[in-house]
Amino acid sequence: MAVKRTAPSPPTPRPNPNPNRRAPVSGADAASPSKRMLAFHFIRALARIHRSTPVPRRTRTIRRAAYSSMARAANPRRVWSRALLQQMRARRARTRRAAVLRRRVSAAPATPPGGARSITGEDQESTTLAALARTTAAAVPHRQAGEPARADALRRLVPGGNEMEYSNLLEETADYVRCLRAQVQLMQGLVDLFSGR
Amino acid sequence: MSSRRPRSRASGGASRISDEQISDLVAKLQALLPEARLRSSDRMPSSRVLQETCSYIRSLHREVDDLSDRLSELLATSDVSTAQAAIIRSLLM
Repeated sequence: MAVKRTAPSPPTPRPNPNPNRRAPVSGADAASPSKRMLAFHFIRALARIHRSTPVPRRTRTIRRAAYSSMARAANPRRVWSRALLQQMRARRARTRRAAVLRRRVSAAPATPPGGARSITGEDQESTTLAALARTTAAAVPHRQAGEPARADALRRLVPGGNEMEYSNLLEETADYVRCLRAQVQLMQGLVDLFSGR
Repeated sequence: MSSRRPRSRASGGASRISDEQISDLVAKLQALLPEARLRSSDRMPSSRVLQETCSYIRSLHREVDDLSDRLSELLATSDVSTAQAAIIRSLLM
C-alpha cells in the first residue's frame, strides 16, 4: 500500500485526507465526544452567523448554534442528541411560522381573504404547540419504583429525558454532561483565541 | 460493551436492571462532577449525586449562555478572517 508523501516532513502537520494514513484522533472511542467534529460544526456555524446574522440577535443565534452543533457532533443513537435536534427544528419552524403569520396579519388588516389563511396558520401553530406539550406532558415521570425524586429535575434538564427509563436516563446524562463540557471548553478556547489575538 | 447487560427498550417492566448496575451508573455520574477529584472514592448517596449533577448541568448551561454572549461581542470586534484561519488550523490538526 503506497503511502502518499508529497514533501519530506512538512513543518506544520496538515490534516491528511489520505485514508491509508490514519492520524490518531482524540476520543476515538465512543465514550468521549470527538473534539474535531464539535469544532468543525460549531466553527462553521459561527462563520455563517458572522456573515449573515445581524448583531443584536447574535447571542441567541450563537447559543442555539452551540446546542445544535453539539447535538450534530454527538452519537446520533443518543436519545438526547435526537431530542435536542428535534427541539431546535420545532422551534425554528415555530418562529418561522410565527414570523410569517405576523407579516400576514400586519399586511392584511381586513379579515376576509387573509383572515381565513391566518386562521389556518394559527390552527397549525397551536396544534404543533399542543402536540409538543402533549408529548412532554404525557410522559410518565416515574418509570421505576426505586427511582429517587431528584430524577424528575434531571429529566427536565436532559433533552428527551421525560421518555427515558431510569437506567437510560443515567447513561444519557453522563454522555450529555461530557458533551456539554466539551462544548464549553471549545467555546472557552475560542473566546481565549479571539481575545488573545 | 458486552451484551450481558439487558438493554431496556420502550416496553416497561420486562428488563431487569440490577441495583448494582444502577449504582454503577450513578458512580460514573459522580466521577463526572467537578469536585470528583476532591472526594475521590467516597460514594455519595445517589440522590446527592443527582442533585449535584442537576446543578452542574445548570451551571454548564449558564456558561454556554455567557460564552455565547462573549463570542458575539468578539465576533463583532476582532478581525475574524485571520483569527478564523488560525483557529481552524490549530483545532483541526
